[in-house]
Amino acid sequence: MNKIASLLMTLLIALCLSMPIFAQEDPFETVITPAFTPITWERLLNAGDEPENWLMYSGTLDSQRYSKLDQINTSNVATMELKWAYQIPVIDRAETVPLVVDGIMFITEAPSNLVAVDAATGRQYWRYDHELPDDLRICCGRNNRGVAILGETLYMSTLDAHLVAIDARTGNVLWDVTVANYEEGYSKTAAPLIVKDKVVTGIAGGEFGIRGFIDAYNAETGELEWRTYTIPGEGEPGNDTWSGDSWKTGGSATWITGAYDPDENLVYWGTGNPGPDWNGDARLGDNLYSDAAMALNGDTGELVWHFQFTPHDVHDYDAIQVPILADIEFEGRTRKVMMWANRNAFFYTIDRTNGRFLIGKPFATQTWAQGLDVNGRPIRVPGMEPTYEGIMVSPPITGGTNWYSPGYSQQTGLFYVTSFDGEQEFFKRDEEYEVGERFTGGGGSYKQPMDAFHSSIRAINPVTAEIEWEFPIMPRSSAGITTTAGGLVFTGSADGYFFALDAATGEELWHISLGRRVHAAPITYAVNGQQFVSMASGNVVYTFGLRD
Amino acid sequence: MGFNSRFWWKWLLASGAISIFLSGLPAMAEDAGNLYNTGYDIGQGQRYFERQCSRCHGFDAKGNDETGAPDLTGRLSRASTNVGIFNILREGIAGTAMLPVAADLPDSQVWQLVAYVDALSIDPTNVNLSGSATSGAMVFTGRGDCDSCHMVSGQGGRLGPDLSRVGERRDPEELMSDLITPHEDVAPRWWTMKITGTDGSYREGLRMNEDSFSLRIMDNDFNLWSYPKTRIESAERVEESTMPSYAQTLTESDLDDLVAYMFSLRKEI
Repeated sequence: MNKIASLLMTLLIALCLSMPIFAQEDPFETVITPAFTPITWERLLNAGDEPENWLMYSGTLDSQRYSKLDQINTSNVATMELKWAYQIPVIDRAETVPLVVDGIMFITEAPSNLVAVDAATGRQYWRYDHELPDDLRICCGRNNRGVAILGETLYMSTLDAHLVAIDARTGNVLWDVTVANYEEGYSKTAAPLIVKDKVVTGIAGGEFGIRGFIDAYNAETGELEWRTYTIPGEGEPGNDTWSGDSWKTGGSATWITGAYDPDENLVYWGTGNPGPDWNGDARLGDNLYSDAAMALNGDTGELVWHFQFTPHDVHDYDAIQVPILADIEFEGRTRKVMMWANRNAFFYTIDRTNGRFLIGKPFATQTWAQGLDVNGRPIRVPGMEPTYEGIMVSPPITGGTNWYSPGYSQQTGLFYVTSFDGEQEFFKRDEEYEVGERFTGGGGSYKQPMDAFHSSIRAINPVTAEIEWEFPIMPRSSAGITTTAGGLVFTGSADGYFFALDAATGEELWHISLGRRVHAAPITYAVNGQQFVSMASGNVVYTFGLRD
Repeated sequence: MGFNSRFWWKWLLASGAISIFLSGLPAMAEDAGNLYNTGYDIGQGQRYFERQCSRCHGFDAKGNDETGAPDLTGRLSRASTNVGIFNILREGIAGTAMLPVAADLPDSQVWQLVAYVDALSIDPTNVNLSGSATSGAMVFTGRGDCDSCHMVSGQGGRLGPDLSRVGERRDPEELMSDLITPHEDVAPRWWTMKITGTDGSYREGLRMNEDSFSLRIMDNDFNLWSYPKTRIESAERVEESTMPSYAQTLTESDLDDLVAYMFSLRKEI
């Protein structure tokens, strides 16, 4: 046998020996990095068409949180089981809504950290720990709710009011810009929103006498492209809705993520309470554009229209809700609407092309307004302002709902919201503004135990503003909602449950006790054809799927 | 030398004579009483509390289940002295939402806040009650028959709250109101549930815990029952106490004695 034949024989033997190895161990299941392709603006525009991914905070630019996945559906959701859990090392409450991009999940953690894990197993690729100063001014806990992605870059808000760009493959910092001075009470907690080549992002600090704004940064360089203040400056229209110099410290923060309509080229963003929260004496007037929906030109940030839900608010009824956009049949024709269940306990359907009020009704117990006039402006009940001695008002400070995401189903045409029927005593105090100090002018106290109040998931028909069904939960929940083409509504509760309801009827189809408060919104995605549903509870991100 | 130089400053501190010369106390306090504890200081502390602390602890400092912030009006679980309170305010509590006060806040203002937090709970040595705790102990196990439902130091019944340390969380006025009008402010743990199961069974008991999907009770025989709500046909929630009012059944002097006894029930330090 010559050398060549000998070599061939050796190769053949080696090949035969190696065959069983290949058969037993599929390298594509064990070693390969998922095919991570850059997230173009085109992909974000059509995010609903790749339901295996969850590409932005609210799933799609219209913020419906509706997924076209239907592998898990009303007939089999009862067989869901735990697939994996990811434990966040920093103990705090998790308000995170992860993103999933081609098999990789990006999870933000308290206080301002970010981790990339395998979306099928929960095992880590990399993590980024953001260094924070130890004299942060934050009102309500060390939270981060999520990131945005464009190309191969993630964009994250941090508690020291920075915006950080992070390489999605390695966790390396690409740029880190200061959005505002944290020492003056500014902070950032919300996921940014990508609009074309810009990173649109809000600011928190409404309890510290800040002046709110919405910013857009160049995704490539981190340069500020436009800033729109949520309180008009001197000489600008609306500045006269603030008495004296109160506009300078009027709050109107923007601490939740907005929505975008590419046809209208409008960015929709909610604004928070005017400050000081519970004492309006020194800020007489409507206090524009606090407690409002603002519609901004996506390229310039120019204000196109606004709708103020609660003029001259003295109860901390932030309009910090995620706007949901849909095209619905309304009075015989298709209308481009925005649906909004507000902290002030009213639900609104608004024409999103011009801000015109279409319909609105209370969806939770409220005692502060007699109703809405034809323009959607509340008709106040006299004498419900906070007093030095305290006055009982519904909804309480936490609202009929709050920042946690509502959902909308394209199948049922219903809007789903976590609602709270409670009351609280509101107090007023006199305070002078001091830089970096709380500037709230009062506060509130519950006079009954939480268990005495009523909470529920409510399904609202946006055409009639009527409640179609409700599912009771207890106590108050701060979980967001996700709907699917499987006919499901996924959400959770403060008593630590994660559950699935029939989107059409509200019937409970599945629940599991996760043990700690659910303080985030669920997402759904798929890897290798298998659908998963993830939800954070306590300090853990749990992921479920059908039994294998 | 008749005057011991090692201790002269302590004498001055105790007299308060030099307090106006002090700009503040050490940043991490280790000793010394609170010099800022006048009515004015407490008022200033309250102002600061309402502004900076009430978001989590509540305007009435009674805590908040939602934020996990504890009730500060009774015994504090993490600080037993004013210095302990001061240190928590300055340093925060690592790994919790309890952040330190602003770093540039003068010590004098932190001490005013300490004075307010301290004033939220009553110093029992300053309270003069007309009743006798010793007699109250006898009423408790005798005419009042309180121990048939309440435990004190491991002795007594299970149908009401354990009163071993009730003096730390209720002041004498509240204790009297508990005896005379027990149906006011009943904690959800002591509500009664009347449950008919889907199998037709009927049970009632104290509401140990209820959540969105399940319910747990203890019946009068101390059996513990856990129901998925899907197994409940109907459930009536009685938001009242099972305790009777003692306004008519005990004399005024018995009631005063009982209050004195219950107020004396606190952890031995």
